Amino acid sequence: MDPQLTSLIVPTEEVTQIEECLSHLVEDTGGNYALLLDKSGQVIVSQGDGIRQDITALGALIAGTFASSREVAKLLREKDFRMLFQQGVRENIFIALIEEQWILCVIFNKGTHIGLVKVLTKKATDELASVLERVRQQHKARDEVLGSSFRTSMEDTIDLLFKD
Amino acid sequence: MALINVAAREIHCKIVYYGPGMCGKTTNLQYIHESVSSDVKGDLLSIATETERTLFFDFLPLDLGKVRGFQTRFHLYTVPGQILYERTRVAVLNGADGVVFVADSDKSKLEENIRSLKELAVNITRQNKKFQEFPIILQYNKRDLPNALPVAVMDKYLNGMNWTRHEAIATTGVGVFDTLKSISRLVISRL
Repeated sequence: MDPQLTSLIVPTEEVTQIEECLSHLVEDTGGNYALLLDKSGQVIVSQGDGIRQDITALGALIAGTFASSREVAKLLREKDFRMLFQQGVRENIFIALIEEQWILCVIFNKGTHIGLVKVLTKKATDELASVLERVRQQHKARDEVLGSSFRTSMEDTIDLLFKD
Repeated sequence: MALINVAAREIHCKIVYYGPGMCGKTTNLQYIHESVSSDVKGDLLSIATETERTLFFDFLPLDLGKVRGFQTRFHLYTVPGQILYERTRVAVLNGADGVVFVADSDKSKLEENIRSLKELAVNITRQNKKFQEFPIILQYNKRDLPNALPVAVMDKYLNGMNWTRHEAIATTGVGVFDTLKSISRLVISRL
């Protein structure tokens, strides 16, 4: 991907495919929740039981964990760690990297076997990698998506909200 | 890289406050958190040591509501400023759309400011981004210090790139929102 690209636009059709992929992953593993994040920590799609209020913070922290582990990997002369597993008493988190751009995260409890999560997450990352590839290829112009007057409206909003 | 989710009609941008230790990055975020209305801000998340020094990052999500049909969110982060945490700064900087470089106006901190700015340039270049083109806003913080360096001197050593810069006293909020406005506008202009 062009490193100078300043925005990644995920079209509706691809978002639907991601949602389906995450739904299947939660269903097939018996997990509680699956998230797809951008490496900057922004949640693209989340699927699972109910609505989590803490999803934004969760995204930031998981991406932080991943970025931090990548720096550890470099010190060990690895390129990166492609998978991370965090084990709690009740809940566990399995995290996998998709290309260099996205992070897939599955939250599951002790009723689900880690081996199953690993296998099915691998399958899902392959599927999501092809979605990511399509997103990159059909990258649309910003104005086509946001409209040309977006910037002016945005500036007005910034001035209105960001004040003492 | 900003993320535009067309299905959910959402835009997310990541802004990182960078600078040497104790320059006031966390104080900027704390002031913003205290001052913006509750429907705009999320919880301020801090991963700090027992002595309140930032260990990993502070994180403040701001939700600007719908703009032209798009829910727009800015995620503000700070990096830990201490030299020890160089690799951690690289991790937090990952995927940033813009940076506020907070410089300490204290006369004795000039060298630390210069070193931190150089490190920022290296870290942005390592992400394969062009440092000259990367959205950056400068903030000269602690202007109320009796031994604060003159702005012209700070410009000479820190603002060779002619970035927009703001004078600030983050503890009382002076210049905090001007800085936030500038970086937000700059990031949006580059989407």
